[in-house]
Amino acid sequence: MFRHNTLRYVALILLAAGALFQAFTAEYFGLEILTEILILAMLVLALDIVAGFGGMVSLCHGALMGGGAYAYAIFTTKAGIAPPVAMAGAIALTGAAAWVIGAIGSRSHGIYFIMATLAFGQMAYSYVFETPIFGGDDGLGGISRLDLSFIGVDLNDSRSFALFCLAVLGTVYGTSVVILRSGLGRSLTGVMHNEQRMRALGLTVWRVKADVFGLSGMIAGLAGALAAQHIMYISPGLLSWTVSGEALVVVILGGLGTLVGPLIGAAAFVVLKHELSSVTTYWHLVVGVILIAVVMSRANGIFGWIEARWGDRLDRRLADATRKTEEVLTDA
Amino acid sequence: MAHDLGFWTLQALNALQLSMLLFLLSIGLTVIFGLMHFVNLAHGSLYALGAYFAASLAAVGGYWMGLFLAPVAVAGVGILLYSGLIKRMRKSGPMAQVLVTFGLIFVLLDLTRIFWGDLALAIEVPALLDGRLAFLGVEYPTYRVFIIALGLAIFGALAFVLGRTQIGAMIRAGVDNDAMAACLGINVERLFFIVFCVGCALAGLAGAVAAPLLSVTPDMGLQILIPTLIVIVIGGLGSLKGAIAGSLIYGFVQTFGAVLAPQLASVLIYALLAAVLVIKPVGLFPAKG
Repeated sequence: MFRHNTLRYVALILLAAGALFQAFTAEYFGLEILTEILILAMLVLALDIVAGFGGMVSLCHGALMGGGAYAYAIFTTKAGIAPPVAMAGAIALTGAAAWVIGAIGSRSHGIYFIMATLAFGQMAYSYVFETPIFGGDDGLGGISRLDLSFIGVDLNDSRSFALFCLAVLGTVYGTSVVILRSGLGRSLTGVMHNEQRMRALGLTVWRVKADVFGLSGMIAGLAGALAAQHIMYISPGLLSWTVSGEALVVVILGGLGTLVGPLIGAAAFVVLKHELSSVTTYWHLVVGVILIAVVMSRANGIFGWIEARWGDRLDRRLADATRKTEEVLTDA
Repeated sequence: MAHDLGFWTLQALNALQLSMLLFLLSIGLTVIFGLMHFVNLAHGSLYALGAYFAASLAAVGGYWMGLFLAPVAVAGVGILLYSGLIKRMRKSGPMAQVLVTFGLIFVLLDLTRIFWGDLALAIEVPALLDGRLAFLGVEYPTYRVFIIALGLAIFGALAFVLGRTQIGAMIRAGVDNDAMAACLGINVERLFFIVFCVGCALAGLAGAVAAPLLSVTPDMGLQILIPTLIVIVIGGLGSLKGAIAGSLIYGFVQTFGAVLAPQLASVLIYALLAAVLVIKPVGLFPAKG
């Protein structure tokens, strides 16, 4: 089950403070990068839930996100549906699609599950690419953002939009923690550790997998709807399997199954990408080498490494400190 | 239908040619997986490397030198990868392997860009294979016939080696139960190494063969990767039969799908893959029952 230890709280507070500081001080370009990080963070949270706590390594989360983006774009530009309803529709649609994928894939394990998700992702990619209503290679433009003017917020301002995304990310994080701590989340972790035993205990394994995959898909769809509003233009490239691969890279770089780690990974990845691509066009080379090094080092990503080094010690020291205070108090 | 018999023959030949190209790629990948339980996503990058080596060598010593030496060069790269990375990743889970080889795709992609630049390279078809052959009432480019023949020849050779020779029996034993094979005195580790090198060489050969047909670009490895994976998942990992069956299914569904239902063609093959995974989650002809 997912637990917050002291280190995780400290990391969360630092991340939130950093994001807020950036949101209030940065100029236009800095805000764009911040929003990019926040949206990627939602996607990798969705992926960490299924991969880190359910052992379902998905290569279709990029496509789910892209699906959310396209659904929002089509609903608002072609069907003329109001943005809030369109967003809810996009989330419901990707959630339903993800549920079906999870249900179908629930019998496959390991590399077969990865391949199955890859197949569904590519299916969506090809469909969007080939179907005229989605604009094909040219993509879709003219996507409008949510209208929050009734509470005095103009989301067309990049600062407001970044803050809005930060608030959404906070909600998504809280929801993820709730999901993982619920009976469903605990069952999922049980299935990851020993599927046979959970089945013997009377659990409907495929339902658990499908339900969590569906919830994860809803988060990915939400990230997609926000991405569409952020860039205001979408292209089939959003659904490409390399997006899913990159999301997996971020999860691994940050620390699989820690929830906090992928957030750090998202920030590190986007910053690294922008810094490197301003220096060299071969930034993929550097990212590839870092990825290989991280996986080969057998540490669980950046945050997993920190946690293994200092997490326990920090908790122990805090426990010692409280015990000592208690001793002092009882002595007195 | 408005199309005559010749049209269908032509399409069947196209499908067969695509199948053979995919077969050359997928057989290496599938046997490596079957034997080593190793998922090498960078297999497509080795194919791209093969095409680049062939292009460079062809510029120096003509097409045939490229065709024969490119697989050797790619096998050399394979040896480097094996001793540097893959040997150490053998015992890791599938996810770690997927990620390391995913990183390898990035690295190899940018390395080819650094060495050969972003522009597409082209190779001339050799004089011997230039031109067209009259064939079952249609005219078909000789070079494509050559690819089909080469694929069938490799298939025949592999079927013979795997099915009729001692080393083939050792490989099959290793795929079936590597611990037991090792107990019987087979040096499974060395077997892995040989199979990996041959798989890399076949990927390089596929690249060298494909180079004159397609233009040689850095991302050709990424483009071929997904079809190759589909082939081995449909066919079932680890078996020669699966690789050839998967290749033929992919080649024919893709080619005829594009002719009969252009709108659906690209979705069709993925839908087929999904169907196979639902009905037979381990593919049509898996190496292990």
